[in-house]
Amino acid sequence: MKTVRIIALRKDRKRLLEHLQDNGLIQIRSDVETRQGFGRVDMSSQLHVFERNVALTEQALKILDEESPEKSGLLSSFKGRRKIDPDDLGEIAAKSQQVIADCNRLVELDKKCTDNAAELIRIRTQLSQLEAWEKLDIPLNTTSTKSTSVFVGTLPSPYTEKELNEAIAAENPKLEFAAELIHSEPTQSCIVLFSPASQKTMSEDALRALGFARPMGATSKVPKVKSEKLREKREKLLESTEKAREEIASFADRREAIKETQDYFRIRADKYEVINRLDHSRHVFIIEGYVPEEDCEKLEELCRHAAPCTVEFGEAGDDAPVKLKNNKFAEPAQGILTMYSAPGKTDIDPTPLLAFFFYFFFGMMFSDAGYGLLMVIATGLMIKLFKPDKKMRNNLKLFQYCGISTTLWGLVFGSIFGDAPAALYNFFTDSKITMAQLLPWPTLDPQKDALLVMVLSIAFGLIHILVGMGCKFYACLKQKDYAGAFFDTGLWMLLLVGIAVLAAGMFFNPVLMTVGAVIAIACAVGLVLTQGRAKKGIIGKAIGGLASLYDITSYISDLLSYTRLLALGLTTGVMAQVFNMLATMMGRSVAGFIALVIIFIIGHLINIGLNALGSYVHTMRLQYVEMFSKFYEGGGKEFEPFSLNGNYIKIQEDN
Amino acid sequence: MNGMFFALLGAALATVLAGIGSAKGVGGAAQASMGVLSEDSSKFGKMLVLTLLPGTQGLYGFIVGFLILVSCGVLGGSAPTLAQGLAFAVASLAIGLGGLFSGIAQGKAAVSGIALSAKNDKDFSKAMVSVTLVEIYALLSFIVSLLAVIQIPNLNI
Repeated sequence: MKTVRIIALRKDRKRLLEHLQDNGLIQIRSDVETRQGFGRVDMSSQLHVFERNVALTEQALKILDEESPEKSGLLSSFKGRRKIDPDDLGEIAAKSQQVIADCNRLVELDKKCTDNAAELIRIRTQLSQLEAWEKLDIPLNTTSTKSTSVFVGTLPSPYTEKELNEAIAAENPKLEFAAELIHSEPTQSCIVLFSPASQKTMSEDALRALGFARPMGATSKVPKVKSEKLREKREKLLESTEKAREEIASFADRREAIKETQDYFRIRADKYEVINRLDHSRHVFIIEGYVPEEDCEKLEELCRHAAPCTVEFGEAGDDAPVKLKNNKFAEPAQGILTMYSAPGKTDIDPTPLLAFFFYFFFGMMFSDAGYGLLMVIATGLMIKLFKPDKKMRNNLKLFQYCGISTTLWGLVFGSIFGDAPAALYNFFTDSKITMAQLLPWPTLDPQKDALLVMVLSIAFGLIHILVGMGCKFYACLKQKDYAGAFFDTGLWMLLLVGIAVLAAGMFFNPVLMTVGAVIAIACAVGLVLTQGRAKKGIIGKAIGGLASLYDITSYISDLLSYTRLLALGLTTGVMAQVFNMLATMMGRSVAGFIALVIIFIIGHLINIGLNALGSYVHTMRLQYVEMFSKFYEGGGKEFEPFSLNGNYIKIQEDN
Repeated sequence: MNGMFFALLGAALATVLAGIGSAKGVGGAAQASMGVLSEDSSKFGKMLVLTLLPGTQGLYGFIVGFLILVSCGVLGGSAPTLAQGLAFAVASLAIGLGGLFSGIAQGKAAVSGIALSAKNDKDFSKAMVSVTLVEIYALLSFIVSLLAVIQIPNLNI
């Protein structure tokens, strides 16, 4: 990575920046202080407009999706962004005002629908309140005529007409009245009471004693007329909502245009955001950035071609971003690495090692030739058919390589859809053949030779850990930290090798045992002598050295962790075997054949889903916890070039 | 009397106890992940991974159970002696109990992992790795049960 400084005239700013964005070679720095005599240009108002447009189109797409969901298959998430020509961008820009108008219309229509929905709820409440008063033929808010006072309202308990009259009479025997029951339900009764105007207070008192209340929201309309009106209004609202929805749906064919316009504004916002960060004087402006070493010449050429300017390169400091560059074999694993963390300033790029062990361990855990082939074919087809974006393509490639490894391990373990060949052969011929007899090459059955496979797993683990420590050793040498390299890392590596030789000797040859023991003890002594070197005083050094030997426990637990290679490999095989057994259980009849096919397909799909996930997660864990903890610091930042960066369209291949 | 009863008891213990652990773990994690999905359904893939992590214990238990069935005369092999049957029952306790408790513990870790990666997508891999740390104990139990179950038919007891 190099730093670059480009100085050019202000009048060329647009042209130069557009060229830089088109080519995506440079990452603009944001951490540069403003120089004396220079200032920043405030572009936030333009930026604000673009960002608002992006938000508007996002909202419009969401509305559109609710009304007429995009037809998308299960696999469409693999699909790459649409590739367009740089010249098309101008066309999109020309049409953008129309698209923004469409989006505004969509938002407006959506608001109408929401308002209508709220109004409908209000109407529904009103209608339900009026329901009880349907039979009343005077307005709800009637209180008096010339000679009578009228009380319309509710009592909080159920009455019949007779009970009502009796109850009121009982309250005040002197009261002259005519009461009418409009509606009665368990919780309330709707009544009307007429009495002479002169007895208004008396009847009020009597009614109050019974718990009388006038209805809420009483109007001057007769209830029946009022509810009729409300129903009409409801019809109208529903109709208008329906219309609005139809209109929203009619915009479905504008979806692509909206997406493109959104990306267009996103790209412009990116550019203005960059301008905000540049130093300007009256006539010139300065771009400070990072550029990968291999792109320096290309960038210089590009700038000279675009506008008169000076381009200076310099050495990048420790906080420069990193751009990973790997060959075809290792590149798919970059995603796994960056998911953990991009390499820090002292790190070597471990992607090739990571890639190898990732494929290797994944294959050992998933270990089935049938599943592996399926993976290879499926990922290959997806890459061919969907032309996915770089990142997705790398992920698919990762699984393709894992699939190859899975196939190879499946052949070693003698597993092709579990024991499907043998199970089917036995099913049709009633024989009792095993996979080991069927396959012409010697196989290693993790069910029968579990112990051997476990030892193998731990041995692979030891290699994995040693490779990790080797990276640490190399990194220390590169930084000229010789004590760190030889004492902290080298001795431990030798110690582990010694113990491994010792263990091997126990099985094969007593001489090896002695050799191993000597190496291990010598290294242990070395560790005791060197590990306390940072401490003060002889006693401190001795205690520090002895305490460091305690680290052996962490190495042992790391190694045991690799038994998961056996466990997961076995899980895949046994599950597959169980499904094969279930599939062939029904006997050789028509129903039996149908059951065979169905159970076989569904069972193996379940097995693939469960165990591919398990293998992926556990392989990742072995890399992150067991290997990376030995040497990898991480904490770097990824190189993010200033480029035409859209969500739906791509103008050039991403790097 | 042969050891069939105890062998089957062992198969049942291994499958059921480890299954309970996984069911509790996955159940809790699924509840938490559905809470996250109600806010942002695009996280389904990541949530699914974290939810399924405590599910392996049940599989391990099932495998031990299956291997017992295969070697004790139900799905092949020959009927075990009484001592062998008892040995099957005891061997299955390792993954049974180990799976039960590690499944529950891993479920709790998965719930926290879901909360973490709901907050920040970038922390997903850290959450995932932390949750798998619990798994090693289920694995060790499984290996013990497995090695024992494979060897028991060959033991002359």
